[in-house]
Amino acid sequence: MNTNKWTRRAVAAAASFAALQALAANPIKIGVPVGLSGANSVVAPSVVQAAELAVEEINAKGGVLGRMLELEVADDASGAAGAQKAFDSLIFQKKVNVLISMETSAARNAGLPIVTRGKTPYIYTSFYEGRSCNKYMFVNAWVPDQQVAPIVDYFMKTNKAKNFFLVGSDYAFGRGMLEFTKAYIGKKGGKVVGEEYLPMDGSDWTAVINKLKTAKPDAIITSTAGGAPNVTLTKQLRAAGITLPYGNLAVDEGTAKDMGADAEGIVISGSYLTNIDSPKNKAFMAAMQKKFGDKLKTPNDLSVPQYEAVYLYKAAVEKAGSTDAEKVVTALATVKTEGPRGTIQMNKQRHAPLTMYLGQVQKDGGIKLLETFKDVDPGAQCPNLK
Amino acid sequence: MSLLLDILSTAAILFIVSCGLLLIFGVMKIINFAHGGFLTLGGYAPLLVTQWGWSPWAGGAVAFVIGIGCGALVERFIVRPLHSRPLDAILATWGLGIVIGQLITLAFGRGVQFAASPLSGTVHLFGTEYSVYRLALIGMSLAVAAAIAGVLNGTRLGLITRAVTMNETLARGLGVNSARVRLSTFAFGAGLACLAGALITPLSSVDPNMGVPWLTNAFMLAMISGTSLLSLGVACLLLGGAQVLVSVFGSPVLGALTIVVLGALVLRIRPGGFARG
Repeated sequence: MNTNKWTRRAVAAAASFAALQALAANPIKIGVPVGLSGANSVVAPSVVQAAELAVEEINAKGGVLGRMLELEVADDASGAAGAQKAFDSLIFQKKVNVLISMETSAARNAGLPIVTRGKTPYIYTSFYEGRSCNKYMFVNAWVPDQQVAPIVDYFMKTNKAKNFFLVGSDYAFGRGMLEFTKAYIGKKGGKVVGEEYLPMDGSDWTAVINKLKTAKPDAIITSTAGGAPNVTLTKQLRAAGITLPYGNLAVDEGTAKDMGADAEGIVISGSYLTNIDSPKNKAFMAAMQKKFGDKLKTPNDLSVPQYEAVYLYKAAVEKAGSTDAEKVVTALATVKTEGPRGTIQMNKQRHAPLTMYLGQVQKDGGIKLLETFKDVDPGAQCPNLK
Repeated sequence: MSLLLDILSTAAILFIVSCGLLLIFGVMKIINFAHGGFLTLGGYAPLLVTQWGWSPWAGGAVAFVIGIGCGALVERFIVRPLHSRPLDAILATWGLGIVIGQLITLAFGRGVQFAASPLSGTVHLFGTEYSVYRLALIGMSLAVAAAIAGVLNGTRLGLITRAVTMNETLARGLGVNSARVRLSTFAFGAGLACLAGALITPLSSVDPNMGVPWLTNAFMLAMISGTSLLSLGVACLLLGGAQVLVSVFGSPVLGALTIVVLGALVLRIRPGGFARG
């Protein structure tokens, strides 16, 4: 009688204690397939750092719906084959609740069928060539409709440029960006006098520069793969004495700064610059510096969307009241977050209106802000998705 | 006119990159697949030189010395034990190339690095602006060719190297220490690869994978040149010229295939390649 009552209470206490343990040990897993090796390996560490900071901040405030967030990072080798392995292992073995990452277009395209099969929400945080649509995917980074116009408009207005020469790497991003650029230039009354591509790992731009000199354009716009191709092209352009207005659609602040004197004058356009003068950005930069110290990889236009995406997921789960994929997907289309880039909401056909910054690389490596464009619309990216 | 200069400078770069591979192939009858790794290793020498504050011109010399040292070690400990198994030796060099790339990544990081260039700017030539460095490379390739020819034809080591190239068994029968020749050839070939890596950095980026794309073209050029440096020069001019022409009048994407496709065709028609006899 007494023994039974106390036994029952002990059992109940133990049971609820175990349940609490289970609840605490039931984290929400965020899968991050990213290019730790391969073409994206230079920028991947900054993306992982951004995700780590977001997770740490959210967990410190109690997690999401009382559950802690946990990161599962997998290497997609920056390509299709690696992405298949990474997505498979994250979705079916580690059973993550969501995928949040930045990847090459090749990797993303290979991973999407797996995302559909696994019915996992996916926030893609990399800028890309646009028009990639999947029931489970949302994008919080820019598309050409947002990034190209500022550069072309600037050259046409300031440099009175009419003839443009386009150079790119031969893959989805390079071709997609330049296809959009060509159409936009045509719409604005300009002319494209040349369009040349080199394979992604190509480093010899001799023939391209030869054609460029023959075509005598007023301005150059390039969209190469990140990292080495940007550097080799810029070095060889400068070695050949080309000083034309040069807009680079695919170089990040960090690489542009490192390139030194060769990069002077390059015009870049993006949704993030480290010197954005807002309280949220200043707080973000300070927090990153405090957490990572001298191991900090400069936040950039590919890593900051990752940070904001984790917060967007948190908002979606809280609005949906669970991590159920269908409910989260519905919520992701409406939630918003205040991030270093401003207010981010993926409510335009799963893409987000963004404030774009036009900058020019200076001789000392700094970026001078030329113009700011508030809340640029991403255009009709996925008209067939409801 | 600038098209002609493009062809000459492209041929020059191809020659500098491939001559080390050809030497090793000629003497040891194996293709050193770590060639791309040595190119990359040499590419980082200008970076070190910049960090130490030396003159950028020292980059090539430092690279050459590093190459000889590493080449000698590799030959002694990896290639020589596999002397009687050439296919395994080739595989071993392939693995070595991967290891070198990863070691460089561990030491310097994955990112693209920047090294000071010894020559920059353009010169006004025949009505167009042309890169001074590319022109200098034409001169440098001729100097390298002359140096190799000088060593091969003017020194005793060169003499016995040529003997081993022609027929190793016979040379050993005559008392030539072929093991020493193999060691010195591999070291020299690796040194040339590193030198080439250092010489191409002003036009390319310094990163752990910079040497890899050159390997295929160098391999094809070495295959069709037999054992003669002169044939290599001719091959670089012809195939390099074809690559430039296809890139300019067709597309650079096709141009990247030219050397490999033409090389395969040449070998099909004339298995001896460009070598005479």
